[in-house]
Amino acid sequence: MRWLVIAEWRRMVVGLVRYPIDTIASTLTLFLVFAGLFYGARYITSSPIGGGRLSTVVLGYTVWIVMMAATGDMAWSVQNEAQNGTLEQVMMVPWNAVWVFFVRAVMAIVGMLVPVGAVLVALLAMTHVHLAWRSAALVPMAMVIGTAWGLGLLVAGVALLLKRVGQVLQIVQFLLLFVIVSPVAVLPGIGWHLAAMAIPFAAQVFLLHGLLTSGATATIWLWVESLFNLLFMLASGILLFMGADRLARRQGILGHY
Amino acid sequence: MLRVQDLTKSFQTRTGRIAAVRGISFEVQAGEVLAFLGPNGAGKTTTIKMTAGLVRPDHGDVLVDGRSLASHHDWVTARIGAVLEGSRNLYWRLTVMENLLYWAAMRRVPGRLSRERASHLLDRVDLLARAHNTVQTLSRGMQQKVALCQALMHHPPVLLLDEPTLGLDYESSESIKEMVRELAHDGIAVLLTTHQLDIAQELADRVAIVRDGQVVLEGQTAAVLDRFSRPLVQVVAAEPWPADLDQRLLGLPVTVTGPDTLELLPGDLGERALYALLARLAPHPLARVERHQADLAQVFLEVVGTRVGP
Ligand SMILES: Nc1ncnc2c1ncn2[C@@H]1O[C@H](COP(=O)(O)OP(=O)(O)O)[C@@H](O)[C@H]1O
Ligand SMILES: [Mg+2]
Repeated sequence: MRWLVIAEWRRMVVGLVRYPIDTIASTLTLFLVFAGLFYGARYITSSPIGGGRLSTVVLGYTVWIVMMAATGDMAWSVQNEAQNGTLEQVMMVPWNAVWVFFVRAVMAIVGMLVPVGAVLVALLAMTHVHLAWRSAALVPMAMVIGTAWGLGLLVAGVALLLKRVGQVLQIVQFLLLFVIVSPVAVLPGIGWHLAAMAIPFAAQVFLLHGLLTSGATATIWLWVESLFNLLFMLASGILLFMGADRLARRQGILGHY
Repeated sequence: MLRVQDLTKSFQTRTGRIAAVRGISFEVQAGEVLAFLGPNGAGKTTTIKMTAGLVRPDHGDVLVDGRSLASHHDWVTARIGAVLEGSRNLYWRLTVMENLLYWAAMRRVPGRLSRERASHLLDRVDLLARAHNTVQTLSRGMQQKVALCQALMHHPPVLLLDEPTLGLDYESSESIKEMVRELAHDGIAVLLTTHQLDIAQELADRVAIVRDGQVVLEGQTAAVLDRFSRPLVQVVAAEPWPADLDQRLLGLPVTVTGPDTLELLPGDLGERALYALLARLAPHPLARVERHQADLAQVFLEVVGTRVGP
């Protein structure tokens, strides 16, 4: 595993250093999209999104960016590498491909940590939301990252089979933004709790909110939902990717076909 | 070294099932080059990809040093290097050196060793000076040479090359050909597909001709060429034959094949027939007299062109 991590780390760093404009442009876009939503909502409803709701939206949006980094990068790279032939070389290395892509999902997020942090700071300044730091929040942050890895693997698996997933993915990503900040996780009733375990990040955002906002609470249900969501997404990502890998080799579609 | 046993693969397509490979078996020994020849769609690439573990066979297995790909996937793929058809096999935004180090690390070659190997390999293909250029700035020929280096970074005993010289200029083709010759000399087992039959003829110790997913002819290159050479002598004149040619040739086993060419089939008469023919032709000026020697192009045409497919 060490070699794999070293190889992918170096590739990511070279990409960041050699093409910084790509990262800067995408970070700026992410910030502008939020600004558009924020001022747009205020203009249309003529009243600002208020209080606790606003801080979940800011946190949800930040989590959403992390998710975008993992899924976008995975879909894009599988799609492109299938076209230009490196995918077949990747699938030939003496590793189970699921580990290669897991490490790639990790690097996709590691490479985005600084930009995501920058966007979060900018959002907080723009919206005047105040967060009270608590080190317990590191746990749901790690859960967010782990869940994003799972989702990244899931998307990579789908891309192995379907190749051109770009357009569909954009729609799914956008829908996910609304689901993430929706209060599924804090609604009463076992049905909603189960839903929160299946919907990526829904509980983790509210857990973060509960820990970082004064006056809010992190219920035991939020912890349980967040943990199950992490495990569920990781397991489905790994299983779906492994299944897709096997099917793609059977159909001979790792390359141009 | 490399042993391929009864590989079979069919694909489901919109128009039905295609039997791409139907029971292909062969062996490539260490230090040997096997050329895999066949028309488009014969199943060469599918066979190579099954050997590399990229396509899963319906049937059959691939063995490297006696271990099976099906049961020792990582062990076997760690011993195979490949340059695949038409594709770039490299990251265009990384430099040549970054690519080589990346692929070496992916195959568990320690850092210092892989630097040494990269320099050594690049030196062999005269690209050491371009080590720190990104791959996208190289010519197609150079990229292909780097792809070959990439496939060799983990010192694989088996090398798969799917049309490695396709679309390359003469010089790049020649230098790849030279490199492959040297690699075989170093003891690597090389499986090569190509449409350039002259290259195959020069490089290959053995050839296998594939058609409709099956090997229709296999053997030592020299033996195959002998088998397809006929005991013919071709005579080419320096100017058109005289009008009374037919009368002059009466009684000799000769076919006139053109206004200034003819073929002699000496049969039991041997050399005597040739001298008799030359005496009758004198003093007509001749350009060439030569024994017929088959080349792979002719073998290919006869094998692929005459058999009728299913
Ligand atoms: N993944 C695939 N799906 C469907 N058909 C395929 C696939 N791969 C190859 N084929 C078909 O199998 C046959 C053999 O192809 P290929 O192995 O690429 O031949 P060659 O390399 O000898 O030109 C062709 O008819 C091709 O269209
Ligand atoms: Mg081919």
